[in-house]
Amino acid sequence: MKATHLLRAVARRVAAAVAVLLGAATVAFAALQLIPGDPVTTMLGPFSSASPEVRDRIRAQYGLGEPVWQQYLHYLSHLLRGDLGESYQVQRPVSSLISGQLAPTAQLALAALAVALLLAVLSATATAGRRPVLRGAASLLELLTVSSPSYWTGILLLTVFSFHWQLFPVAGAQNGTALVLPALTLALPMTGVLAQVLREGLETALHEPFAVTARSRGLSTTAVRLRHALRHAALPLITLTGWLAGSLLGGAVLVETVFGRPGIGALILQATTNKDMPLAIGLVLLSALVFVVLSTLVDLLYLVIDPRLRTDQVTP
Amino acid sequence: MSRLSRRPVPLAVATAAVLLAAACGSGSGSGGSTSSAGKPVSGGSLTYAVDTEPVSWDIDVSQQDITGSIQRNVFDSLVHQDDKGQFHAWLASSWTVAKDLRTYTFHLRKDVTFTDGTPFDAQAVKANFDRIVDPATKSQYAAGLLGPYTGTKVVDPYTVQVTFSKAFAPFLQAASTPYLGFYSPAAIAKYGSKLGAGGPADVGTGPFVFSSYTKGQSAVLTRNPKYRWAPSTDAHQGPAYLDKLTYRFLSQDSVRVGALRSGQVQVAKSIPPTDVKTLTPGAGLTVISKQAPGGVYNLVLNASRGPFTDQRVRQAVQRGINVDADVKSVYFGAYQRAWSPLSPATLGYDSSLTGTWPYDPTLAAKLLDQAGWSTRDSAGYRTKNGKRLSLVWPLMPQNLVSQQHDILGQAVQADLKKLGIQVERPRQDVGTFVKQLFGGKDDISDYSWSRADPDVLRLYFNSAETPAKGGANGTFIKDADLDRWTEQGQTTLDPAGRARYYTQVQKRAVDLSLVVPMYVVSSVYGASSHVHGIAADANTWLEFHDAWLGK
Repeated sequence: MKATHLLRAVARRVAAAVAVLLGAATVAFAALQLIPGDPVTTMLGPFSSASPEVRDRIRAQYGLGEPVWQQYLHYLSHLLRGDLGESYQVQRPVSSLISGQLAPTAQLALAALAVALLLAVLSATATAGRRPVLRGAASLLELLTVSSPSYWTGILLLTVFSFHWQLFPVAGAQNGTALVLPALTLALPMTGVLAQVLREGLETALHEPFAVTARSRGLSTTAVRLRHALRHAALPLITLTGWLAGSLLGGAVLVETVFGRPGIGALILQATTNKDMPLAIGLVLLSALVFVVLSTLVDLLYLVIDPRLRTDQVTP
Repeated sequence: MSRLSRRPVPLAVATAAVLLAAACGSGSGSGGSTSSAGKPVSGGSLTYAVDTEPVSWDIDVSQQDITGSIQRNVFDSLVHQDDKGQFHAWLASSWTVAKDLRTYTFHLRKDVTFTDGTPFDAQAVKANFDRIVDPATKSQYAAGLLGPYTGTKVVDPYTVQVTFSKAFAPFLQAASTPYLGFYSPAAIAKYGSKLGAGGPADVGTGPFVFSSYTKGQSAVLTRNPKYRWAPSTDAHQGPAYLDKLTYRFLSQDSVRVGALRSGQVQVAKSIPPTDVKTLTPGAGLTVISKQAPGGVYNLVLNASRGPFTDQRVRQAVQRGINVDADVKSVYFGAYQRAWSPLSPATLGYDSSLTGTWPYDPTLAAKLLDQAGWSTRDSAGYRTKNGKRLSLVWPLMPQNLVSQQHDILGQAVQADLKKLGIQVERPRQDVGTFVKQLFGGKDDISDYSWSRADPDVLRLYFNSAETPAKGGANGTFIKDADLDRWTEQGQTTLDPAGRARYYTQVQKRAVDLSLVVPMYVVSSVYGASSHVHGIAADANTWLEFHDAWLGK
C-alpha cells in the first residue's frame, strides 16, 4: 500500500467518523425534542414545588424558549468547538462528568469482554462436533444466559456468592474483588451468543478439506481445533464481538445500578430520567464514538486474521 | 411544598425521596428507633444502604428528600423540630415571633463554627437565605419554604430578623429542615453553583463533614471533632460517636436487604413489606418503622370534569373501594390503612374520621343509581344517556412507579368494576402525564406528600394550589370553606388553634368525597442489632449524631 493510499484511507475513515457523530448528535437532539411535554416540567417532575418564576428562569438559561432550529444551530456551533455544554441538573460541564465516570465503566466492560471471549472459546472448542448430549447441554446453558435479564442474573449471583457465601462484596468499585460479580453478570449473556456463533463456525470449519488434511498429517483433533478451525471461525466472532462491545454500555446501566458501582450507567440513568439534555446528548456521542472506534478496530483485525482480505475485496 | 418520593411515595420524576414521619403508632415492626442500651462507645464506621441518589447536593436547590436526609448530617438549622412537632433551640438559642407572624427574630449561639473555620453568625444566615431566594440559584424547594420572604436583617453579629410580606406560620417548621440549613459563606463565595456537585466543597456546621462522593456508588461522611452544638433533645451535645458514615446507593430492594442480612451494611432504607417480617432479633436484625407526616397516599378525585362533577358518583367511588382489604393484601400489613387525607403523625390529625366511611358496595350502587347511572351496557358497565361510566387514571412510566402502586391500583380497579365502573389506566410518559395532570384532564390522580406540618392540606385543597403552580390540588374544585381554612391555618402559631382549622379541612374533604385516603406512608428501615442510638426524626429520616456501634 502506498502512503498516499493509506492517507486517503485514513482521511476517509475520519470523515466518516465525524459524519456518524454529527448524525448521532442530530438524531439525539431530534429525539429529545420529540419527547412530549415541557422540558422544564419534565426536568423538575410532576410534583415539584418550583415556582413559575424558577421555571421561566431555567427555560431562559438553557434557551428552551427559542425556536427549535435556533436551539439546534446554537447547540451545533458549541459542539463543533468541542463544548458539550453544562448538565442541567448538576450544573457541571458534561465533559468532566463523563470523563469522571468513564474509568469504572471501561474497566467493567473490558473485564466482561475478556471473560465472555474466554468462556465462549472454551465452551465452543470443547463441545463443537462432540457428543450431542454434551453439545446440547452447553447450548441450553448458553441460551439460558442469553435470555436471562441481566439484573436478575446479577441478583442471583449476589445472593449466592455475596449474601450466602461472602466471597465477594455486594457493591462498589473499591477493589478487584468487587469487579468479579458485575463483570460476570455482564459477560454471561455475551458468552452465550458468542459461543453459539463460534460453535457453528467451528463445526463448519472442521468439515472443510483443510481440517482433514491437517488430521492426516497427524495433528491431534484439539490441535486442529485450536490452530486451524478457530482461525476460520474467528471472523464472524470478531464482528459480533465488536457489535456486542458497543452494546455493553447499555448493559452496564443495569449492572452498575444493581451493584451500586460508579460509572457511565449512573449517568445514563440520571440523564434520561431527568431529561438532562446536554448530558444525554453527550452520552449519545460517547456511545457513537465507541461504535466508530470499535468498527474501525474490527476492520483492522480482519486484515490481520485473514490474509486474503489484504488484496481482494472479499467480504466475509 | 414538598416532594414526593420515589419509593415510599408515588410520583417522583426528577424527584426521589423518602418519607417522613412523626411519632405515632406504626404499622409494624418496632418503633422509630433502635435500642440505646448501655454506654455509647466512640469509634467505628457504619455503612447505610439507601435506595436513591441525589441529583443535586445543593440544599438550597434540591427538592429531593434523599438530599435533605444525607445533608442533615452535614448542615444544622436554626431550630430543631422533635418528632412530637415541638421546636427546640439549635443554632438559634432563642427566638421571638411578632404578633402579626411577619417578623421572626433569632438570637444565635456564639460558639458555632463551620468546618472550614468560618464563624457562624448573623451574616451567614443572611447570606444563605438571600442565596435561596436569588433567582439565579433556581431553587426548586427551599425558596418555597421561605414563602412570602422579604428579607433578612442583621441586627447585630448574633441577632437576625427574618421578615415576610404576610403572616407566615409555617416558617419555624421550614427553618428546622436541612433545606434552610447553612453553608459556610466562604464556600458559597468560592463554589457558588458548583455546590450541587457535593463532596468537600459542601461546608456546614453539622456533626459530620462531607469527605467524598463517588457518583453511582457512595458518599462518605466523617466525624466533625469540633461539634458541640447539637439540639438539646439529642442524647448528647458533643461530636458524633461514629468515625465514618458511608451512604451506599443501591436501588434494588433485594440487594439492599441481602447486603443487610450478610452484614455488608449495618442499616438499610426502604425495606419492602415482604421482607419486614423476616428481619428479626433472632437474625441479629431490627426494624425501625415510622409513619410519615403530611399527606397520606391519597386517590384524589377531580371534581371539575365528567362524572365526578356529581358528588354522588365521587361518594360511590369512595365507599365502593375496599381500602382495608386492598391495602392489607398488597402490603402484608406493613402499612396502616388511612381514614383521613392527613397522616396520624401530623399536628391536627383528625382521629374522629376513623371508621366514618367504611366499605359499603350496597350504598355505592344506590348512589350510582340515584345519580342516573342505572342502565348497563353489554360489558356490564353502567351507562347514562348511552354513555359508559368510565374514569381515566393514568399510570406513570414504569421507572417512576413506586411502592407497588400499580398493583394497588389493580385492586381498586377490580373493586370499581364490580360496581359497574370502568377505570382506564393508560401508561403515559412523563411529559404526557404532566400535561394531562396540569391540565386537569385526569379523573383520578394518586400521591402522598410528606411534610411535618398540616399546611400540606393547603397544597391538596386550596384552589390556588394547582399542580401547574407547584401545588398538589388535583381536585380542581374551588370550595370557599377549604380555601378559607387552609389560609387561616397559616396565620396562627397556636397549635390548638391551627389544629381546629385543619380538622375542619380533613372532615370537609372527606365529606365532599374529594379524596379516598388509602394508606399511611411509613418509612421502614432495617438495622443490625449492634447499631444503637439511631432514631427517625420528624421527617422520618434517620439521625446519626447519637448513633454508635456496640458489640
